[in-house]
Amino acid sequence: MANLIEITDLAYRYPDGTPAIDGISLSVESGDRVAILGPIGAGKSTLLLHLNGLLLAQSGSVTVDGMKVTGETVREVRRRVGLVFQDPDDQLFLPTLLEDVAFGPLNEGKAPREAAARAHGVLADLGLAGSEGRAAHHLSGGQKRLAALATVLVSRPRVLVLDEPTGNLDAEGRAKLVRLLQERDETLVVATHDLEVARALCSRCVVLDRGKIATQGDSARLLDDASFLQQHRLTVPLGDRALRGSTGTRSPKNPHNH
Amino acid sequence: MSFHHLDQYAHIESPITHTPPVVRLLGTVVVAVGAAALPLGAWGHMAVLALLVGLIALLARVPARVMLLRVSGPLAFVVLASTAVLFLVPGQPVFHAGPVVVTDAGLLRFGSAIGRAVVALGAAVILVSTTGFPDLVSAFRDLRLPRVVTTSLGLAYRLLYTLVDEIERIERAARSRNVGAGARRRRQLAVGIAATALTRSFARGERTYRAMLARGYHGEMPSLRTRRVDVNSLIGLGLLTVTVLATTISAYMIR
Repeated sequence: MANLIEITDLAYRYPDGTPAIDGISLSVESGDRVAILGPIGAGKSTLLLHLNGLLLAQSGSVTVDGMKVTGETVREVRRRVGLVFQDPDDQLFLPTLLEDVAFGPLNEGKAPREAAARAHGVLADLGLAGSEGRAAHHLSGGQKRLAALATVLVSRPRVLVLDEPTGNLDAEGRAKLVRLLQERDETLVVATHDLEVARALCSRCVVLDRGKIATQGDSARLLDDASFLQQHRLTVPLGDRALRGSTGTRSPKNPHNH
Repeated sequence: MSFHHLDQYAHIESPITHTPPVVRLLGTVVVAVGAAALPLGAWGHMAVLALLVGLIALLARVPARVMLLRVSGPLAFVVLASTAVLFLVPGQPVFHAGPVVVTDAGLLRFGSAIGRAVVALGAAVILVSTTGFPDLVSAFRDLRLPRVVTTSLGLAYRLLYTLVDEIERIERAARSRNVGAGARRRRQLAVGIAATALTRSFARGERTYRAMLARGYHGEMPSLRTRRVDVNSLIGLGLLTVTVLATTISAYMIR
């Protein structure tokens, strides 16, 4: 099967010269579900920005659906790769939810009536029917996450790229989002700290550390390897077997104080 | 945040909320211009326009207490800005307040400015109480204001809330570590909070722009709005315009 995303020896440095990602090569096939794991500063978000053409390769290359991501192809690439940002408040910038969701199709040249119909449909699918006229600041955290997802799904991308999709969500919101994403057919690339979400959503994990791929492989195998996770500064899931020996209680440092 | 509920009467069923936002906006402009065009000292005509505004507020189901409260804030600025005319306009002295003399012409201008402001502010308060900001922006679009202006207004409105949320978070964190600080320290803190909020708002703007690009933005802001103005609303606006015009013209004819 042809690779939907092909990243070859990609490197990116911030304007101050600090390397963000360094020599990353990665292939994602159509229908793949890939988790990008790594501690803060590992280069996850920078990598995701390359997939949507928001950052262009300084060296190496990124190819999406057979198109090399360049200034010329970037509009077509963005039709195919939907990027959901870490903070939904960045993504919801228009006065009403309907306008926010219809923004992508309108930019693609769809007529207002068609864009609105699509937006209504996606909002209904995500359980946000009736919120079309509301402003984003009147939504709960969970609703904002779903709304941000709707702004991308409405353009029917081939690849869904999510940056920390469960950040600031409570357990119920997190479970709802995971269930929803499990039912989607799109190719999925998820950058997350949440190892349980990675396990639930993705069959493959790519671990980044200091801008390089430390390892990649089957999620179940990697996420069960507690020593590997600790070695790469990833949080071990609470309740994981590796932590069950610890009760969370500890004896006082100086018992004489009591 | 207090400005969350400025448009709290926008969702109430009323003849006013059933009219398209652009008609409400035009009606407000008609009343405000009519009030501003009244001659000095046309107290009876100002009262007629004020009654008209009161009637519209009644139709819009905006309570009198809310009207008074919302008018009083900006009116205080009008009073402050107009106080100087009491003393500066030459005329017959009415009374002395220490070294300054209040003249009859000054009093006339001061009173007229306040009367006009009450009418115009009343109309504006009804508009913002019954019209959500997104609808106001769409009304500006319907009036063919440049897209860059309406887009900037829409973005500013949305970012205002995220900015206020951020300021509240920073301020709370600062207060929690600043127990018992004096006034000087609090002032310094306020400056620091403002600077931090400004920096963060730049970062927010950058991220929002990226989010726009990611969804195909290419320099032209698209619009979804295609609202039509119905005949009844046009008749209502026509009646209002005729009433205001008749009041203003009769004020000049009586003189």
